[in-house]
Amino acid sequence: MTATLVAILSLAVLGIPIALAVDRRARGPLLIGTAFLYGSGTMYFVLLTLSIAHIRWTLISVTIASLIVFCVAALIARRQSDDVASQQTKLHLLDLVTLFTIVCYTLYATLAPLWEWDFWAIWGLKARTFLEIDGIDWRFLESRWNTFTHPDYPLLVPLNYDFVALLNGGWSDRWMGLTCVAWAVALALVARSLAARETTPFFAALLAMLVAALGFSRYVGLAEGALIAFGGAGVLFVRAALLDDDDVSWRHAALMLGFAANCKNEGLALLVAVTIAVVATSWSRAPVRLRKLAPAYLLAAPWLILRAAHTLPTDIVEGSAISRLLVRLPHAHQILMFLAEELTKPWFWIAILIGILLAPARRRERFTYLVTAIQCVFYVAVYFITPNGLRWHVLSSWPRLTAQIAVPITFAVFLMLANSLLAEEDAPHAEAGFDEY
Amino acid sequence: MVLGVASRLLELPFIDRAQSVRAMARYPDRAWPDFPLFLQGVREHTKPGDTIAVIVPAMNWDGGYSYAYYRASYFLTGREVLPLVTADNARVQKNFLAAKYIAVFGVGLRVPADIVWREGRGALLRLRQR
Repeated sequence: MTATLVAILSLAVLGIPIALAVDRRARGPLLIGTAFLYGSGTMYFVLLTLSIAHIRWTLISVTIASLIVFCVAALIARRQSDDVASQQTKLHLLDLVTLFTIVCYTLYATLAPLWEWDFWAIWGLKARTFLEIDGIDWRFLESRWNTFTHPDYPLLVPLNYDFVALLNGGWSDRWMGLTCVAWAVALALVARSLAARETTPFFAALLAMLVAALGFSRYVGLAEGALIAFGGAGVLFVRAALLDDDDVSWRHAALMLGFAANCKNEGLALLVAVTIAVVATSWSRAPVRLRKLAPAYLLAAPWLILRAAHTLPTDIVEGSAISRLLVRLPHAHQILMFLAEELTKPWFWIAILIGILLAPARRRERFTYLVTAIQCVFYVAVYFITPNGLRWHVLSSWPRLTAQIAVPITFAVFLMLANSLLAEEDAPHAEAGFDEY
Repeated sequence: MVLGVASRLLELPFIDRAQSVRAMARYPDRAWPDFPLFLQGVREHTKPGDTIAVIVPAMNWDGGYSYAYYRASYFLTGREVLPLVTADNARVQKNFLAAKYIAVFGVGLRVPADIVWREGRGALLRLRQR
């Protein structure tokens, strides 16, 4: 356990100068949350770079590379103006309840060595395999016998596990669930801080509690926790950037979405969904705003190039995807009905839908709605072309996919409802940016 | 809504977790609880780079072979685990012949082979005719 805790702390420390280089004003929850996420994302690139450079992963090589990144980020952060007002988040008694839910999730995530099938068949297996040779084992990923590991999936999560294992001095999956807790906590801190800009401390604390609960992936050890954190934070920062037209939020957004694209293929889809939604909701300013998203694509590019160079197969497009689509299209209504029947926590989604219909200022949140809708369309489209049995594919993935997109839409709906309950003067920014899109 | 999302989690600090801990620890290997221990033994008696094929009572992909193959891959990292059955249940005889070791669990195998290690329901074999 100590090694995992030290790893989490190290990632947070590594991320502090990066978070400050991105946002000199960041303090409190925002600084801690973004610092861990940046540390986690950066560690992926550190290990990836070392592996590409054929430098063996050792505690020394990883520490030296991380220190270089740390120093460069610290220099950039120092160069930025100090005269900006720092962002303070007022805490609320309700935050203690959130803390209690985090303790509960920690108990769950660390009940036993990681038990999920997909951990020891995909995410943990890759991490453990790479640790054997202290680098990415391309031969393993390219082997025809290992296609079950989904070799095309990006490696942010396995390489984070490798960092934990390096600090541990060997592989142990007993306490790796703590990393999932850390990703969820980081997202909750980011959401807490962003919500505090737009509503009262009470509602911000309540929303953070909800976001934390949604960020608690029940699939401990899989990449869902990291994807929910990076993707959720990315979408929330784009939302903030669109509302305030704030360059700092754009920088956060682009980096978070870039890291999300390195968690899972759904993260890459999310980046595309965000791009489409930004264009659709701000057509006249789209070129400027898309340039601000460019770093996300730059972060996504290395893995896309590597997986193409190593011809790592993607299972959903193998064979003839078009013919599978044509066969399933006539049964679209049955497939959609099946998805509706298998929706996990249907009351939660009904509440979200009612919230959207009831809340005023719906136009203000159209970016978040659109991203969620586009991402849903991507998910459903995959079911139409999957080479796997449709029923099996839906049952084994639909609950995870819907959990991935829950945070941003919940954040938007909750804030709309909360602010509609408040007098205008109590709700900072309640209508700010309405016409800015 | 919060309670709906996290209600079961909130009970965790107040219940006796020992039962949950045991259940979750056994969960991945509930069909063959002694399989991980066997794989650990195989790991200790093989070297990185060795090729190993696994034979288990269920030689049907969805009937248990996929579990055995994936689990072996996880415990035997550094070695190359070769499947003897594909996802569509076709036998892969060439992997049986190509493997340096055959890890046999829960079944007997009548082939000319040297027993490298044996414990419980499993044995690690090395085929004689190479």
